[in-house]
Amino acid sequence: MLGLTVTRRMEPPRWGSIFIFPVALGVSLGVSCLLLAAQGKSPALGLEVLWSGAFGAWYTVEDTLLKTVPIFLCSLGVAVTFRMQVWNIGAEGQFALGAVGATWAALTFANLPGALLLPLMFACAAAAGGAWAAVPAWLKLRLGINEIISTLMFNYIGILILEYLVYGPWKDAGSHGFPMTSQFVPAAVVGHFPGTRLHWGVALCVVCAVGLWVLLTRTRPGFELKASGESLRAARYARMPYNTLVLLVMALCGALAGWAGLLEASAVTGRLQPSLMVGYGFTAIVVAWLARLSPARIALFSFFLAALRVGAENLQLELGVPAAFGGIMEGLILLTVLAGQFFNGYRIRPGGAHR
Amino acid sequence: MEAALIVPLLAAAVQSGTPILFATLGEMFTERAGVLNLGVEGMMVVGALAAFLTAQATGSPWLGLLAAGCAAALVGGLHGVVCLHFLGNQTVSGLALTIFGVGLANYLGTPFIGQRAPGFEPFDVPVLSAIPLLGDILFRHDALVYLSFLLPPLFWLFWHRTRPGLALTAAGEYPRAASAAGLNPVALRWAGILAGGFLVGLGGAYLSLAYTHLWTNGMTAGRGWIAVALVIFAFWRPGRAMFGAYLFGGVMAFQLRLQASGTDVPSSFLLMLPYALTVLALVLSALRGRGASSSAAPAALGVNIEPEG
Amino acid sequence: MTVQPATATPPPLVRLEGIGKSFGPVHANRDITLDIHAGRVLALLGENGAGKSTLMSMLSGVFPPDSGTILLDGAPVRFQSPREAIDAGIGMVYQHFMLVGRMTVAQNVLLGQDRGLFVRPRDMERRVGELAGRYGLDIDPAAPVAGLSMGERQRVEILKLLYRDSRVLIFDEPTAVLTPTEAGQLFAALRRMTGLGKAIVFISHKLEEVLDVADTVAILRQGRIVDTVARQAVTSRHELARRMVGREVLLEIERAEAPLGGAVLELEGLSGHGLDGLDLTLRRGEIVAVVGVAGNGQKALVDVVTGLAAPAGGEVRLQGKPWAEFFRDPPWNGAVAHIPEDRLGVGTCPELDLVDNVLLTTRKGFAPGLFLDKKSALGATRAIIRRFHVAAHGPEVRARQLSGGNLQKLVLGREFFRKPRLIVAEQPSQGLDVAATEEVWHRLLNARMQAGVLLVTGDLNEALQLADRVAVMFRGRFMAVLDAAQARDLEKIGLLMAGVDAGAPRA
Repeated sequence: MLGLTVTRRMEPPRWGSIFIFPVALGVSLGVSCLLLAAQGKSPALGLEVLWSGAFGAWYTVEDTLLKTVPIFLCSLGVAVTFRMQVWNIGAEGQFALGAVGATWAALTFANLPGALLLPLMFACAAAAGGAWAAVPAWLKLRLGINEIISTLMFNYIGILILEYLVYGPWKDAGSHGFPMTSQFVPAAVVGHFPGTRLHWGVALCVVCAVGLWVLLTRTRPGFELKASGESLRAARYARMPYNTLVLLVMALCGALAGWAGLLEASAVTGRLQPSLMVGYGFTAIVVAWLARLSPARIALFSFFLAALRVGAENLQLELGVPAAFGGIMEGLILLTVLAGQFFNGYRIRPGGAHR
Repeated sequence: MEAALIVPLLAAAVQSGTPILFATLGEMFTERAGVLNLGVEGMMVVGALAAFLTAQATGSPWLGLLAAGCAAALVGGLHGVVCLHFLGNQTVSGLALTIFGVGLANYLGTPFIGQRAPGFEPFDVPVLSAIPLLGDILFRHDALVYLSFLLPPLFWLFWHRTRPGLALTAAGEYPRAASAAGLNPVALRWAGILAGGFLVGLGGAYLSLAYTHLWTNGMTAGRGWIAVALVIFAFWRPGRAMFGAYLFGGVMAFQLRLQASGTDVPSSFLLMLPYALTVLALVLSALRGRGASSSAAPAALGVNIEPEG
Repeated sequence: MTVQPATATPPPLVRLEGIGKSFGPVHANRDITLDIHAGRVLALLGENGAGKSTLMSMLSGVFPPDSGTILLDGAPVRFQSPREAIDAGIGMVYQHFMLVGRMTVAQNVLLGQDRGLFVRPRDMERRVGELAGRYGLDIDPAAPVAGLSMGERQRVEILKLLYRDSRVLIFDEPTAVLTPTEAGQLFAALRRMTGLGKAIVFISHKLEEVLDVADTVAILRQGRIVDTVARQAVTSRHELARRMVGREVLLEIERAEAPLGGAVLELEGLSGHGLDGLDLTLRRGEIVAVVGVAGNGQKALVDVVTGLAAPAGGEVRLQGKPWAEFFRDPPWNGAVAHIPEDRLGVGTCPELDLVDNVLLTTRKGFAPGLFLDKKSALGATRAIIRRFHVAAHGPEVRARQLSGGNLQKLVLGREFFRKPRLIVAEQPSQGLDVAATEEVWHRLLNARMQAGVLLVTGDLNEALQLADRVAVMFRGRFMAVLDAAQARDLEKIGLLMAGVDAGAPRA
C-alpha cells in the first residue's frame, strides 16, 4: 500500500522508546494549541498557564504530587496485570470499592484510636478492592470470560455501589441533601507531613514501589510472573502456577487501587463522596501502557499526567478553558504513543510489491 | 399497576432506548468487521455536539444528523489509523479515544451549555398510532425513533443478504481467508469503523436534537458504555440488541421517574442493571455451552491484521 | 531408474526444471526436474524434511524458487503470490483450512467471487451443489462450515479451487486429518477429478495410500528427486521404502556400554488423545527412540509422559509411581526433564536473559522460601555455560541472541542440572549443524548413566546412532519395538513408518 514495504523487525530500535514519548507529547501539544486558538485563546498563554499551574509555585507542585499518589498506586497495580497479559481495565471500580471499604471501617469503628483504626481501614480497603478484582479474574480462569469486558462492567457497578451508599445508608444527615458521608473522625484521617499538605500516602507510594520491585525481581512468584507474561507456552512447559498468578496480580492491583481510593477519601476529602471518582483508574491505564513495568518510569509518567490534570484545572481558573482540556491531551498522547510503538516492531521502506 | 402508568413508561423506554440502539448497532457493525472500538462514549458525545452546533447554525436538524454521523466517524477514524495501520492495541486505543472524545466535546461545547437548537419534534404516525396500547407506545415519537425501528431488519439484511455484508463478516472472522479470497480485509475493517461510527454519531445526535433540544456537559451519561456492553449481551445480533436497548432505556426512564419522586435509593441498583446483566449473560452462556458467548463473538475481534512478509 | 510408460504421453501441463531453493545454509530443494500431467495423480513421497512441501510451496506461489523455471503449458511463469498461482490455475489444499466457520459452504466457496449487491442463498447453494455433484463430492452447500467434519471441510477447500477453474490441485498430506473412510472418499473424488482432466499432486509419506491412488510416484530425499516411477512399474514396496529412507548415514558416533538400572517409565496399554494401546518399559541406562513421521501420536505421547496430559486409558508409571501421584507435585530435580522440539518458543523465554531461562525449570532449587537466591543462580548459569560450551558473551544476553546450537546446549545444561531420572528429548538436533549435533548426541549418551532417555525424533539416523531400542510409531501405535541391530534394516523401518506391517508377507 502506498508503495511502501513493511517488514518486521528482529529487535526494537534502541532509540525507539526514548523518541516516542516526546514526539507524542509534541503532537498532543500541537493539536491542543490549535484547539485553543480555535476558541480564541492564545496558545502561548495557554501553555504558560498549563505549566505554571503544575509547577509554578510550591503549592502547585504539592497539588501535582497529591494527584500523583492515586495515579501512581493505580498504575503500579495495572502495570503488574498488564505484565501478565491480563487486560485489567477495572482500576476505577477497584478504587471505588477500596474507598467504600475504608469508609465502612471508618464509620463503623469510629471509636477506635488512630493506631488501630487506620491499619484496619487499610486492610478493609485492600480486601474490598482486591475482592472486586479477584471476581473478574476468577470468571476469566474458570469460565473463560474476557476480562476486558468483565472489569469494564465491574467499574460501573462499583461506582454505582459507591453512589448508592453515599446517597442512601451512609448519607450525612447534616449535608442538606448533598451526597456525601459525614466527615471522618480525626483518627480515620491519614495525616500530613508537618509543614506541607502532602500526606503519608506519598510514603506509601515509595513503600509500594520498593515492595513491588522486590517482589518482581527477588522472589520466586515475581519471577514466575515475569516468565508467564513473557511466554505463555514456556510457562505451561515450565509448570508455572498460571491460575494462582492471575489471581495474585489482580488481587494486588485491586488492593493498590483500593489504597488509592482510601487515600483520596481519607486524606484529601476527609469523607466519601461521588466526586472522588475523577478517572484516576483510566489514567492509570495510560500510565501503565506508557511505562511498562519500571516503577521509576511509572512514577515519572504518573507525575507527568498528574501535572497535566493540575495544569488543566489552572487553565480553567485563569483562562476559562474547560478542564476537559486535560482529557484531550491525555487521549492524544496515548493515541500517538500507540501509533509510534508500531515502529518498535516494524520497519517501513519505500518500494512496494513483492517482498 | 394500571395501563395508564405502564404505557407512558413503555413509551419512555422506547424513546430513552433509541440513542442506545443507534450506538449499539453502530458498535456491533464495527465489531462484526473485527474491530473492537471502546471509544463509543467519546464518539457519541462528539456526535451530539456536532449535531447540536450544526442544527443551531443551519436551522436544520437533518443536517445536524448528518454532521453527527460524520463527526463521530471522523473520530473513529483516529482509532482506524492507530489500529489498522499502526497495529496499536485495540483495547487501549479505544480507551484513549473515549478520554479524547469526551474531553474534546466537553471542551468545544462549553460555550454552548444551556443553549437550544432546532430539533426533531414528535408526531403521530397516521394510522398506526390509533392502535390501542401499541399505538401509544410505538407511534407517537419523532422521526429518528421511526428510523431506528427500521435499523435492525436493515442491519440483518445487509449482513446476511448482501455481498459486502459477507465480505465484512469474513474480515471479522478470518482476515487471512478473506485476503486469500481476493478481498482486502484492512479496507473492509475501515468500512466497519466508519459506518459503525456514523451510526454511533446518530445516537449522539438523538440526545441533543430529539431527546432534548439542548446541549449540556456529559450528555451521554455513560450510554456509550452501555452500548458496548449491549453488543455482547445481544450476542452480536441486531434483534436482541433492540430488546436490550429498550430494556435498558426503560430502566433509565424508570430510574428518572423514581428520582423525580424523591426516592433515590434504589436508582443506583437499577442503573447497575445493564452492566450486571451483561456479566450474568456471559456467565450463563459460559455455563451452558462452555463459552457459547465466545463463539458468538467474531473470531478475529480485537486481533489486528499483521502485514504479510 | 526412470521408467517410461508404454503409451505416448501428451506434453506435461506443468514442468519444473532445475528448481532449487535454500533457506540460509539449508538446501531445501536441489535441482528438481519434474513433470505434472493433466488427468494423472502424481505422488510426492518422502520423509520429513525431504523437501516436498517446499517444492509445492513454490509451485503454488507462496515463494519463488532461487533457481530453475516453472513452465505452465510450455511457457515460463513466475508467481508473486498464491493468488497469482490460483488465477493461473494452480491451487493447493492446505492442511490448515482457510474457512469462515460462521458462513455456509456455499458462502465460503463463493467468497470474493460473485458480482452484484445482493446474494441469493438458494441460488448460491444450487451452483455449489452442481459443482460438487459433478466431481462426486458429498457436501451440503447450505451447511455452516463450523459443524462440518474435517473430511467435509477439506471438500469445501477442494470446491473453492474447482470453482476457480484450477487445473492443478496440490494436496499436502491430505489424509493426516481424515478418518480411513473419509480418506477412501477422498481418493474416489481424486479419481473423478483426474477423469475430468485435472492434474493432481499428492504429497504423502504413507506408502499404502500412494500405491492406492498414484499414477506416478516421485521420491524425494534430502531435497533431491531420487526416483520417478510409474505406478505399474513398482515391483515391490520394499524397494520404494528403502529409496524413501535412504542408505547414507550422515554421522556416526561412538557408543560406550551403559549399565541398565531400574525402570523409570512404564507404559501399559496407554490410550487416549489419539494413542492406541502403547506398551513400553524404559530403564535407566538405555535410550529408546520413538521414530515415525510427525503427526502419528508423538505429541500426545510426550504430553502424557511429561505430565501435561492425563492418560485416558491404560497405566503409566514413572519411577514406579502411578502417573497421577507422580505429577501431583513433582520435585524439581530427580524427576522428569523435557527437551522440547521448539527450543525458542517453548523451552525458553526469548526475551529473558540466560539466568532467567535457567531459572525457568530450576527455580524451586534456588528458592527454598519466598526469595530467589539470584547469586547462586548466576553461578549455576555460568557453570552451565562453561561446562556445556555455550558460546555467549555472558549470562546477561537474551535467549534469542543465541544460535540454535548454543540455545540447545543451554537447555540441555539446564535440564541436566536437575539430575533427572527420565529425559524426554524431542528432535534434539533439529536445525543444528554437525558440530552441535555431535555435542548434543554425546550429552544424551552420557546422560544415560543417570537416566533413561526417551528420544522422539523424525531423524532415523539420529535414532540409529543413539538408541538401544527403536519404537516405530504409526497412527498412535507402536508398530514394533526393535533393538538396535534389527533397526538397521532400513527397509523394514521404512515400511513400518509407512504403516505397513513388516510381519505380513506382501509384494
